[in-house]
Amino acid sequence: MKCRRILVQAGRRLGHVARTVRAILYGMTLYEWARELYKAREEVERLFTIIVFGDLLGIPLLTPYYTLRLLPYAVPRIESWRRSMLRERDLTDLLDQEIG
Amino acid sequence: MNAILVLILAALALIVGYGWYARRIDRNIIQPDPKKATPAKMYMDGVDFIPANRNVLFGYQFKSIAALGPILGPIIAVQWGWLPALLWILLGTFFIGWVQDYSSIIMGVREEGQTFGALSYRFISPRARGILLAFLYVYLLMIMGAFGIQVGFNLLTNPAVPLGVIIVTLAGLLAGQMTYKWKQDIILTTVVTVVVALIGIWLGTLPAVKNIFGAIYGLQVVEGKTISPTLFLQVTRAGFIGSLLVAIFCYLGAVLPIWRWAQPINYVAFWIVLLGVLGGILGLLIGHPGMGDFPAVTSFMAAAGPLWPMLFVTIACGAISGWHSLVGTSGTARQLEKETDALPVGGGAMFLEMIFATIAFLTATVAFGSFKGYQDAGGPAAPAAVFSKGLSAFLNQWGLDRVFGQGFGTAYGAVFLTLMALTIMHLCVRFMRVASAEALGDRFPALRNVHVGSIVALVLTLFLIWIVPFLQIWGVFGAANQLMASLALLLITLWLMSRAKNYQWTFWPFVFMLVTTVGALLWSAYSALFVKLPKATNWQGIVAQVTIGVLALLLVVLAVILVVDGVGAMRRYRMEVAKAASQ
Repeated sequence: MKCRRILVQAGRRLGHVARTVRAILYGMTLYEWARELYKAREEVERLFTIIVFGDLLGIPLLTPYYTLRLLPYAVPRIESWRRSMLRERDLTDLLDQEIG
Repeated sequence: MNAILVLILAALALIVGYGWYARRIDRNIIQPDPKKATPAKMYMDGVDFIPANRNVLFGYQFKSIAALGPILGPIIAVQWGWLPALLWILLGTFFIGWVQDYSSIIMGVREEGQTFGALSYRFISPRARGILLAFLYVYLLMIMGAFGIQVGFNLLTNPAVPLGVIIVTLAGLLAGQMTYKWKQDIILTTVVTVVVALIGIWLGTLPAVKNIFGAIYGLQVVEGKTISPTLFLQVTRAGFIGSLLVAIFCYLGAVLPIWRWAQPINYVAFWIVLLGVLGGILGLLIGHPGMGDFPAVTSFMAAAGPLWPMLFVTIACGAISGWHSLVGTSGTARQLEKETDALPVGGGAMFLEMIFATIAFLTATVAFGSFKGYQDAGGPAAPAAVFSKGLSAFLNQWGLDRVFGQGFGTAYGAVFLTLMALTIMHLCVRFMRVASAEALGDRFPALRNVHVGSIVALVLTLFLIWIVPFLQIWGVFGAANQLMASLALLLITLWLMSRAKNYQWTFWPFVFMLVTTVGALLWSAYSALFVKLPKATNWQGIVAQVTIGVLALLLVVLAVILVVDGVGAMRRYRMEVAKAASQ
């Protein structure tokens, strides 16, 4: 009984170690790749929001009829878009890559 | 000194440094609160601000900071003997390296995920941001020159290496194709592409392939030495082709979308590097060789200059790197789920980098067992060649040479290092292109064009590769890097002062780094302009020495401006704190 408990505990610990190693390897490899893909998608979505809400920036790109039709798709991301547009940026923003 | 003893010393530094010193600072001074909302949660946008698991972030942070610096730096630094190099790797990380990495992350978290540039502007002075960008541009240019020389002149000139590098690059593109177009499982993609890459490296070592590249390079055996004909200046045909291959790779990396070229190639290259590191550690543990007659201290004056201050900037990222604070604030601080994760992610990754640098140190010292062996393998002027031969010696401990042939280990080490360098260099060109477009785009609109911006960066790189000696470039590279570290430590000190917290643990490292780095730059400028320039016999020597001298002096001037602004800011914060205490 005691032996079994020890084995179960050892199995749990091994599982925990395996999950940790897996997460670290993911962080070293695919995590950055996935972030780059998210960034590429975000650029397209930002463009979409600008087209729909160009009026907010003083650039009327779309007639109000289409803006209203597209409104439900754009509303969920208005807040993060606004924050992203207003966020102060400089060249050091680009430096989350490995160089050095 | 035995390899195992060195590893035990490094492990002790890790246990005491992380387990005692770092935890003490974290608990008593920073006092992180796991319940406090981090910028990743407050401003979550799914891209820049996104909460990530601690272990994932640890892997990301380590991958972001562990590049070629901690490998080449210690190998160059053992020219002063193994003892000072080892001491600075361990003590530098213990007292300064992790301090900078960890506290820049926690500062970023507490200051709403602002970048390093914005924080410099706010806490030091408006012009501090401009100075940071100047450090950055010089730093990137020096990286391009230093890595370009090692890859173009030392690694790719080995005829057993180019095919391996080309096939690994193609395997990377295949990984992208399998993922995006064929929608294949990532494990299958990884297995297929890594196997293709390994076969490619092995194919490169076959005599028939080596003969083809030998013929392209025009290699001849003269008095027992294999040489390539000189084309111009001191550039051989092999070096010329090697440096052009570097430029082509970087150009493609700079103009193609990052997810199409850089990321899949980096992904496959990562596995080649990881397998090499694991194989090397295994060989080290099996063989546990000693240092033989490798001297503890050779002399105060070596090829790269005097031990103080040059050794400290030479080891660079192996002990402390200013780059880490930039990655920490722009990347990691915006993804931290809890404040308490900052220590394992920032501090832990830096201590692991210390172990990485120690292993690189061992490839130069114990792999050859003698100082003569180290010098014969390339010495401080060709650290990449030393590393590839040293790694080969470790890999052969468990019989790699018996299975794949004598030259496979060296070729593997060379491909490993070439990939590490190239995957960094194409990102450097990307950044330089954006920086030149931002800074000079209004005056020279052509620089806004991605091709023009990339070509300008690559022309500057080829100029450095062909004209300037490696050790001088490395000295200025290390100094620019350590100046960024000084700037980071100054910024963190000011931040701690503004929050009325104990700042002694960052202030003294700042003073040490600043004095050492300015000393190193003054030495580099003096050596270039007053020692080597008068002895230069041709225009190449004159241009090289003037370039190094001017760049070093420029960095000194910028450092002085920074100190003036920093001292002013310190006075301001001290007065504010005193005023608040008296009210």
